[in-house]
Amino acid sequence: MATVLELLLGNTLTRLVFFPALAALPLLFVRRDAVRFVKLYTLIVSFAELGFAVQYAAAHLVGGRFEAATDGAFPWISRYGISYHLVADGISQPLVLLSALLLPIVVVASWRGIERHWREYAISLLLLTTGVLGTFLAFDLFLFYVFFEISLVPMYLIIGIWGGERRIYAAVKFFLYTMVGSLLMLVALLWMAWSYASLAGEWSFAYADLLRLDLPLGVQIWLFAAFALAFAIKVPMVPLHTWLPDAHVEAPTGGSVILAGVLLKLGTYGFLRFALPLFPHAAEAAKPLLVGLAVTGIVYGALVAWVQEDMKKLVAYSSVAHLGFVMLGLLAVDLIAWQGALVQMVNHGLSTGALFLLVGMIYERRHTKKFADLGGLARAMPVFAFFLVFSALASVGLPALNGFVGEFLILVGSYRTLGWPVVVATFGVVLAAVYLLKMVGDTVWGPVRDEANRTVPDLDAREIAALVPLAVLMLWIGVAPRPFLEPSRPALEETLARYQARIEAPAPEVALVRAPEAPVGVAEVAP
Amino acid sequence: MTRADLAAIAPEVLLAAAGCLVLLLEAFAPGLRRAFTALSVLAAAGAGWLAWELAPGPAFGGLLVADRLTAVGSLIVLSSAALALLASQGYLVRERILGGEYHALLLWGACGMLLMLRANELLTVFVSLELLSLCLYALAAFDRKVVIGSEAAIKYFLMGAFASAFVLYGIALVYGATGSTFLEPIADSLLAGAASPWLGTIGILLLVGGFGFKMSVAPFHAWAPDTYQGAPSPFVAFLSVAPKAASAFVLIRVLATVFPEALGTRWPAVVASLAVLSMVVGNLLALVQKDLKRMLAYSGVGHMGYLLIPLAGLDLGPAGVSTLTAAGAGSSWTPVLVYLAAYALMNAGAFAVVGMLYDRPGEQHLISDLSGWGYRFPLLGLALTVCMLSLGGIPPTAGFIGKYLVFLHAVEHGQTWLALVGVATSIVGVFYYLRVVYVLYMKEEVKAPAAGLVIDGWGKAAVVLAALGTLALGIFPAWLLDLL
Repeated sequence: MATVLELLLGNTLTRLVFFPALAALPLLFVRRDAVRFVKLYTLIVSFAELGFAVQYAAAHLVGGRFEAATDGAFPWISRYGISYHLVADGISQPLVLLSALLLPIVVVASWRGIERHWREYAISLLLLTTGVLGTFLAFDLFLFYVFFEISLVPMYLIIGIWGGERRIYAAVKFFLYTMVGSLLMLVALLWMAWSYASLAGEWSFAYADLLRLDLPLGVQIWLFAAFALAFAIKVPMVPLHTWLPDAHVEAPTGGSVILAGVLLKLGTYGFLRFALPLFPHAAEAAKPLLVGLAVTGIVYGALVAWVQEDMKKLVAYSSVAHLGFVMLGLLAVDLIAWQGALVQMVNHGLSTGALFLLVGMIYERRHTKKFADLGGLARAMPVFAFFLVFSALASVGLPALNGFVGEFLILVGSYRTLGWPVVVATFGVVLAAVYLLKMVGDTVWGPVRDEANRTVPDLDAREIAALVPLAVLMLWIGVAPRPFLEPSRPALEETLARYQARIEAPAPEVALVRAPEAPVGVAEVAP
Repeated sequence: MTRADLAAIAPEVLLAAAGCLVLLLEAFAPGLRRAFTALSVLAAAGAGWLAWELAPGPAFGGLLVADRLTAVGSLIVLSSAALALLASQGYLVRERILGGEYHALLLWGACGMLLMLRANELLTVFVSLELLSLCLYALAAFDRKVVIGSEAAIKYFLMGAFASAFVLYGIALVYGATGSTFLEPIADSLLAGAASPWLGTIGILLLVGGFGFKMSVAPFHAWAPDTYQGAPSPFVAFLSVAPKAASAFVLIRVLATVFPEALGTRWPAVVASLAVLSMVVGNLLALVQKDLKRMLAYSGVGHMGYLLIPLAGLDLGPAGVSTLTAAGAGSSWTPVLVYLAAYALMNAGAFAVVGMLYDRPGEQHLISDLSGWGYRFPLLGLALTVCMLSLGGIPPTAGFIGKYLVFLHAVEHGQTWLALVGVATSIVGVFYYLRVVYVLYMKEEVKAPAAGLVIDGWGKAAVVLAALGTLALGIFPAWLLDLL
């Protein structure tokens, strides 16, 4: 009991993860018409959460690099070697910070956009934050799975309750798609844990232990397939992406921002942290297929975005293309590409998040997102036009803005290892410019297609406040990327070294568990 | 009968006596009716305590056994009884059928189940089966005004009588083949090859069928939807869990006698096919139901399929064939008991909510009637959501832990394919459980709640206990696992 209190009150990961969920509990007892109080309370909680995230990151940023930090591992279901073990390292820290940053922004952005059941909305949002933070930080695979699933339910509610017309269809589709992948991953995970238990003589779901499990290629392929399927649905990779446009279009603005900014990263994070390091040989074998899908996603997403007549759909398909870049970088297995992929995950959260916010703002005013009804907004809404152009250019990858840094590093890094497919992917950058500039042209410039566009009120202070931090970061990362790249480098280097050492040796004929202290690559057969 | 024997049936004696007391009070002091629920819940709690404190070992010359597993099983049955009793008060008041018979029958039914899950001899199994069955038949028809209720009870009774006959005939054949009704001698005799294999096999198949009926395992499930629909909802919270738990115990014991490898590999295949059939049939039929109670009935068929997965790879730990103690980490008892505990909580919660929110029993309990009620009844809506998520196997709930253990057991015993079938049907399950959640929160209200609904403190207590228990077991499963 004392430990629990210490963990909750200190500057710990436990506090970071569970504070939002615990803060949601009192809301259950608040009167349902006290909307103003609920909003203020949620805002304070979300700022506190951001403060905790920054405080934690700052405490573990040593010499400009994130050191791996943990609260320790506590037995949870000791009979099966399952422990409560959270670790923040250079890979998870940026994503945690991004999630914590988007929370208050989403609260501010939802201030008026959410018209019904604000209390329930706040509860869902806070539970969702606990779910995603836990997923990014779990270093026990069972715990990871639990958080991965927990984050589903609140998002399902957010889409289904506060979404657009076809919200229920979109919410159920989102849920079932993710569930299919994750349940297969659960079976694969159980299989791994069981192989580990039968070889090592004791149960464990700990990441560090399961990393030592060296499986024959035939087995690795199946397990990798299950993990990759779960994560590829989440990313989403073509052809498993069909849930995404529905979910994005129907979700309320806040939901779209979190979905694009954070939830999709669970997939790419899953590849980087689990699918690739745990099954390196299978990943190598599947690389041609996955690279093909990533490149297809980049081009296909861009082409489909091009023909959209609806701002939100366009931004949704642009996510497919952008996440394709991230996947390409991850599959390149190269330090530069990985650095680019990691920073691109953050970039996508910032710029796509901002674009979704802007789409939401125009929708609140004009109740339409169609190009046919918009156009010429720049005259009535100069501030809106500025932010839209700014975010679109960041998303396109204009030098001096953040998108350029990520895409450039990914392309440079992956060309070294992947070769010509990267050339195809490069066209995606061009296409991004085409469709995003088309969107900008059709909305803020161009002829005024509807007289209402002449009298739309411009953004107010609250809305600007939600956008400014995102814009500042986009510019900052674009101009001075080093402080955003360097802190994560040690963690990426370590993961990469381990991966490369593993694939240098062929996959073993029979399953074995490598000894913990032995230098990587030296195999020792367990009984 | 020695003193020790008497002590060994203390929980059952307490339950039977409490039932008689309630009945006497009903006759001589009907003014105390409103206290019956409290009295019976107390009796169930007392019996639970006694069952927990029971000295391990055989009693009545080996007719009954007691160990940690039966203690946990008794607690599952009794908590399901207690939750059903709590949820019943408001229902009985609303339907104007509050009377001591209800509580007495429920307590006696629980008494039969406690005996059955501890029985180590087939005739004792049969006698306790009859005790619990007769109580359940009567309870199913308890609301005499409801025509469909009587129909439900008649269906249950006729089919149940068949099943009992199956069980009895099976016992007779097994006795004919092996010369004993005690489980260990039957196993020895089968192993030694002394028994007539055909008689024994048919006998055991009949037993499996009979208990499959009580557990509503496909293809013996046809009674469940009709009976659930017509019977009083809070009672269904009991009917849908406790007899299944007790039957699962008997089934494990019976199967343990025939599972050793000497008898070939056909038994695992039989159980596995029942499991697959139940998972597929239950989940697919639940998918198309519009009536919440029928949906829960079919989903229950699916859940029994999951429960059978561990039985298909039956592994009773290092201690051997049919000893019932010593559950190792790989033991099949662990997933079965955890799954039952989870099922008891989440199903009781769901039926308790159904009992409170639907008036006019016997008519349809349309899921769509709940549209938008999640905001009108925040507590009940939230509890029902937790129960549905748990039934769907989504963490951090008890239902997820149950599924995790069941699938892990399958993987551990080389039956990964069963886990994959389970995963596929779970996804179907998630679809229809989610429908309840979206109806509650995402649809506009289509129907105002009837004026006569009684949502009392007892019922709320049952629902809150069930939902919190579901969450607690999902977040701290070690607490239960360490008991096993």
